[in-house]
Amino acid sequence: MRLSVVAAISHGRVYRRLGLGPRSRLDLLRNLVTALVRHERIETPWARADEMRGYAERLIDYAKRGDKDERAMRMADFWLTEKDLIHKLFKVLAPRFQPHPGSYTRLLQIPNRDGLDRAKMAVIELKGNPLPPLVRPRRASDKTLLNQLLKGYRQDAQQAAASRGTPV
Amino acid sequence: VLVLVRSPLPRLRALLQRCWGRLERGLWPGVFGGQSPPWGPALAVQGPALVPQGINDAGESSAEAPSLLESIVWMAAPKQRRTIEVNRCRRRNPRKLIEIKRNIDVCPECGNLKQKHVLCGYCYAKVKEETRLIRMEIHKKEGGPFNAPTVETVVLYEGEKPTEEDEGKRIIERARKRPSWFVQN
Repeated sequence: MRLSVVAAISHGRVYRRLGLGPRSRLDLLRNLVTALVRHERIETPWARADEMRGYAERLIDYAKRGDKDERAMRMADFWLTEKDLIHKLFKVLAPRFQPHPGSYTRLLQIPNRDGLDRAKMAVIELKGNPLPPLVRPRRASDKTLLNQLLKGYRQDAQQAAASRGTPV
Repeated sequence: VLVLVRSPLPRLRALLQRCWGRLERGLWPGVFGGQSPPWGPALAVQGPALVPQGINDAGESSAEAPSLLESIVWMAAPKQRRTIEVNRCRRRNPRKLIEIKRNIDVCPECGNLKQKHVLCGYCYAKVKEETRLIRMEIHKKEGGPFNAPTVETVVLYEGEKPTEEDEGKRIIERARKRPSWFVQN
């Protein structure tokens, strides 16, 4: 079997190659996870944010088990390099996300970086953070032309149904 | 080959003379590693090179040059000049043109242009500036590094009181009116 060709093709590989190697990639992601837990909203290249998102959500799942759990504490100890954030994780973030079954982070793309590389940037934030919101949810307005036409059609249909209903 | 001899002792001088005599007479063949000694004919001679080394060099160089020439002969080159019509077809083919973006929209909040799947640059800059000021206030409150609190945080603007929801939370005060786009929960 030609193992060399299989190594060169990357069909189906899920992990990106970041940094200088596998250990460097994990250190990079660990720094990003620590920053996210500290600041609750960070702006990084999109690939790193996407890669980090899974690790951050799994860390919160571990934290939801409670700080008495040995595995949860070891995970938090590895992933958070600043040890005061372990307290924040178990006492603030775990209760905040207890009612939610999953998806504790929001990943949004922002305009490309201003530097020479024009990198694709994203902002990743924990839901329920105290900072100002990035995107305001818009409710569809009733005053747009399409909605007014649909409203008129609905009213006409109701009147036709009522007029057909009463003679019978 | 330059040989420097600095007033040697009589014994050393005799030894050097003997070695030099042997070299000249060809009785010491192992000195130059099998090649002939590096001195050429004493007189300027016209005609083909008399030194055997010279013939070898010419042979080697003439043997090397054909291999270079042979390799050059096999390289590809265009036969005809490409006409301007053909060039235009290649350069203006849709594959080579910059593709136009059809995902540009107007931001409903501020009216600037934005891509559909990307946040509006102006609105994001506004939010980023406000978060920077809030973080400065947080930094002032915390004092030093590694002082992350173990309670939630809430941001209050001028003239606002904490509600019953903000019971156990840490309060961050901002000395300005609440912006319209930051709705209090």
